[in-house]
Amino acid sequence: MTRVALVLSLALAAGEWRVAVPEYPWSFPQDHWAHDGYRTEWWYLTGHLQAESDRTRRFGYQFTLFRIGVLNEPVELDSDWASTSVIMGHAAVTDLASGEHVFAETFYRETPLLASFSDYPESRIGWSRGPAGTEGLWSLDWNGNGFDVAAVDTRQGMSFRLETNADKPLVFQGPGGFSRKGTDSSAASQYYSFTRLATTGEVELDGERFSVRGESWMDKEFSSSHLGENQVGWDWFSLQLDDGRDVMLYLMRTADGSVDYASGTLIDGQGVAEYLTMGDFVVDVLETWTSPSTDARYPSRWRVRLPSAGLDFELRGLAADQENRSRLPGRVYYWEGAVEVSGGVTGRGFVELAGYGDGNRPPV
Amino acid sequence: MIRYFFRALRAQLRGGVLLFALSLFGVSIGVASVVSIQIINLNALGAFRGSMLAVSGSADLILLGKMPTLPETLYPEVLATPGVAAAWPLYRVDVTLRDADPIVLEVIGVDFFTAIDVPWEGEAVDVSAALGQSGWVAVTATLARERGWSVGERLSVSIGTRTAELVVGALSDFEKATPLASPRLAVMDIAQAQSLLGSRGQVDQIDVKLVDGVDEAAVVAALDRKLGTKAMILTPEQREEQAADLLSAFRLNLTALSLISLFVGGFLVFSSTQAALVRRRTEFGLLRSLGATHRQVFGLLVGDVALLGLAGVAVGMPLGYLGARANIDRVSATLSNLYLLEEIHQLVVPPWFFVLGAAVGLAGAGLGALAPALELGRKDTRSLLAAFSLHARVGEKAPRWFAAGVLCVLAIVGVYAVAGDRWRPAGFVQAFLLICAIPLLTPWLVQLATSRLPVRSFGLAYGVKGLGRQLQTTPVAVAALAIAVSMVVGVTTMVSSFRDTLDIWIERTIQADIYVSTPSRRRAASHATIGADVIERLKRHPAVTHVDRLRQFFAYTNGRRFSLAGVDASVPVDRARFALLEGEVEELPRDSVLVGEPLARKEGLHVGDDLVVDGPDGPVSFPIAGIYYDYSSELGSAFLHLDTMTERFGGGTVASVALYLAPDSDADDVVDELRVAFQATPLSMRSNRGLRERAMQVFDQTFAITRLLRYMSLLIAVCGVALTLIVLARERTSELALYRALGASRLQIFRIYLGKGLGIGAAGIALGSVAGVAFALILIYVVNRAFFGWTIAMHWPLGLLVWQSAIVLLASSVASVYPAIIASRTPATELRREDL
Repeated sequence: MTRVALVLSLALAAGEWRVAVPEYPWSFPQDHWAHDGYRTEWWYLTGHLQAESDRTRRFGYQFTLFRIGVLNEPVELDSDWASTSVIMGHAAVTDLASGEHVFAETFYRETPLLASFSDYPESRIGWSRGPAGTEGLWSLDWNGNGFDVAAVDTRQGMSFRLETNADKPLVFQGPGGFSRKGTDSSAASQYYSFTRLATTGEVELDGERFSVRGESWMDKEFSSSHLGENQVGWDWFSLQLDDGRDVMLYLMRTADGSVDYASGTLIDGQGVAEYLTMGDFVVDVLETWTSPSTDARYPSRWRVRLPSAGLDFELRGLAADQENRSRLPGRVYYWEGAVEVSGGVTGRGFVELAGYGDGNRPPV
Repeated sequence: MIRYFFRALRAQLRGGVLLFALSLFGVSIGVASVVSIQIINLNALGAFRGSMLAVSGSADLILLGKMPTLPETLYPEVLATPGVAAAWPLYRVDVTLRDADPIVLEVIGVDFFTAIDVPWEGEAVDVSAALGQSGWVAVTATLARERGWSVGERLSVSIGTRTAELVVGALSDFEKATPLASPRLAVMDIAQAQSLLGSRGQVDQIDVKLVDGVDEAAVVAALDRKLGTKAMILTPEQREEQAADLLSAFRLNLTALSLISLFVGGFLVFSSTQAALVRRRTEFGLLRSLGATHRQVFGLLVGDVALLGLAGVAVGMPLGYLGARANIDRVSATLSNLYLLEEIHQLVVPPWFFVLGAAVGLAGAGLGALAPALELGRKDTRSLLAAFSLHARVGEKAPRWFAAGVLCVLAIVGVYAVAGDRWRPAGFVQAFLLICAIPLLTPWLVQLATSRLPVRSFGLAYGVKGLGRQLQTTPVAVAALAIAVSMVVGVTTMVSSFRDTLDIWIERTIQADIYVSTPSRRRAASHATIGADVIERLKRHPAVTHVDRLRQFFAYTNGRRFSLAGVDASVPVDRARFALLEGEVEELPRDSVLVGEPLARKEGLHVGDDLVVDGPDGPVSFPIAGIYYDYSSELGSAFLHLDTMTERFGGGTVASVALYLAPDSDADDVVDELRVAFQATPLSMRSNRGLRERAMQVFDQTFAITRLLRYMSLLIAVCGVALTLIVLARERTSELALYRALGASRLQIFRIYLGKGLGIGAAGIALGSVAGVAFALILIYVVNRAFFGWTIAMHWPLGLLVWQSAIVLLASSVASVYPAIIASRTPATELRREDL
């Protein structure tokens, strides 16, 4: 109860925070690193992997580092614990054959002892200690053409170490990398993606180790107000179609379940983006799944229509239970899972469903 | 029979209110003594336990720094240890409020983003303020109410010579979750705590929560490998045991003293049951002759005793609670000053305690009544209706009891010969044997003393001589009084000897003219340091010729916590700095260590041995050059040269300094000048004389409660004298009537009873004084050495003892006045045919 109160209050931590702006002066690769002064920032890698030794062993994975701003400017204190942010790491591996979904997490204040973000041009963007009881670090590095990530949770017998390389150029989500989340312009983020990252590395699940190969999607967002006042969550889709195109869709939901704002990006084979607005696409929920752990009822099958691009396809979760349930402060839960595209076009992707379940509004 | 019981009870109460009141008083005070001491004992660790549970309640393991803090870099290593489900660091520092009422705030620096659970009062806490607002601190709602604080209140605090401004940012409610938690717990962000009140890079404690079902021993072993000698790994239960161990001697001594009160109270019950038996013998005889069974008559007596016991409990329990409340401050001060534990902030009495109180009262009353009740059971109807022949039987048995008493005395000597002061319970076994020996020796000694007494007139001496013939009742009063007197003599002698020894030791040890430390020094230990700039300023005072610096922290040897002090001893002094028990050194040696007597005794250390101390990088060994007398703390202490300390344990700051003044300076004047000069700096300065006075004050405060217990026993015993004489007056009604019939005046009978009172008083004092000497020897040479580890030079406070004896004699005489009046009013018409 106490910890929830504390973390919820992070959202209340007021002050002069920087806000997302349409004319943000991007500078790469420096903008891959952390941005102080924003309340929330995340690096989100999701992808599909296949064991090199056994092509039937396929995995979905997620690696996320969140930077949650607590103070918008540093305080002069003679202590290594002096800190302005909290670093939260979420990592998950789903065995797509068995449906087993393992979620691991870290949550530390930013301090040289536990977790921190580095400054450009160091190759390390951020790191954190593993979960309690685990030797080893979680890390995110820029390798010049992509991101290297590592996560480990000894207790759950899960770890991965992956290297990614961009096959397609960086793409802004929203004009100029300014992604609105509602009609109120204050709910917006600075947002860009790498939609195709060739991925190699190793995955360990239940003590079994696999050399893997696959493809990832990387999202980077930072903002100080992600949700509009009436919004309680979002449905986010990142889809890699077999025809070379990629689709990102963002649907912002209100408490009654209706979508009050939506946007998206259609990226062609060369990485050229076309920005979509709410009227450009329709997402219908065909089936739902109720989490036995949280009682949250999530969509699990969708029909997606994007008439201007001639797209009409179905999405289906590759495993029902890909819900991430945090046990650490805040106790957030959301569904983040691998999906497959079928129908008019084939492909695969990841879907994130946040804010489902009673009173489960993401603290962003 | 039940109806009869209640009717008889009413009749008895009408007939002997005073007798009942005295018996009730005895049981009540006995119960009150035990209950108050047990409440204090129970609560002595309450605040410590409550605060520990409030902060570390969900922890499975507590890792405590040995140096005394831990490098915070160990925290991630602890966190990463397999089997650890969560871990959180704590930075603890006790700060002193700079206020007219300078209380100590127990500040705990925490990382709010770990699994530590702080029970907040009111709305969600703004964590950004906790991290960002300078001095943000959450205090308990109780303390805020007490002091009239609200959120936003600014608090000026000191730690060592540092000062800081804190601001109440939120209220916590630790007491809701753990009722005994100290209301002085204050929580702040660890970064702020380190930066404003302490130093970076260190934590005091790491709490660990284990994965459910994991092998605790394996995790402890893994942690042990990582932490080495830097930390102690304890479960919360072990942590509490550690504190309990610290207090065990203190608590055990109080319990022993309170049990003596109960014991003496039991004697009172014995006398009163005896009285009931005397009063009601004809009634019981009649009942028996009318067909009542042995069991029914026995039941009437048991019913009486049970009621007395229950009434004693009913009065004694609240009295005990009030007694405990009245002594909270004294015991709290001892806990805080000597044991550095949390003070008692509130008394909690668990429901089972009432059961214990009832059991103590009933058992005390029951045991007191056992012998007379059994005696009654053995009697036939005829002997109940006839006069007593008990005294004759006691008279016959007296030599055998005496022999048993002598055996007890021999056993005391035997236990000392075998165990000495090496076996902790030995002292208590000896004290118990002594208490058993007193009543066994009494009848024959009373008989012997009175038989040789020449009687020339029908007055005082006749009364005293009569004591030897009334052996069923008088030895009980004499023994009860003797036990109480022995306790008073023993404890008075021990306390007085201790006080004198301490005085001489202080005189020898405290050589500087002025001692400077900080108000937070006692509690905050190594965190409360004196800034180098302050020392420089002190040195610059024109009267100061030399400055000795002292650095102190709690270190561990062989798992035992003790105070390790480093002194630079730069000043040439005209006497040896240390009063040595073993070894010969004039000055503090560079590469060896001097060990205090309590530590040496507890660890079996001698000159030539090595003291092995847990150091930052493993054990550090020092040859022992001397063992010094040490009465500063039963925890134990050792001294080494400050440079050696820095060399072996790393640098650190100074906790206090000693100033030596030019010969023509007046220390008190210089203290006054320095106080003005350092008005803004939190320093506590005492002149040599002031420090001695303070040390003695602390000593007296520590023993205040024992003084109270001693006098409680004495009060019970004096009541016993009155009770015995009333019994005698009633029992000997026929004899008195005969005297009256033969022409004895009321004054003569009054004198006889006064003589009996004086006789009991004198015999009690004589026997009690001899036993008191033995008691003092046991306390000084066995109990103190075994439990506290210090040598006390025996000193007989003769003046005080004579004065106390005079008081007891006077009290006995006063106590005999009322019985004497009753006796003197006995009319000759009370003479019965069967008495002739």
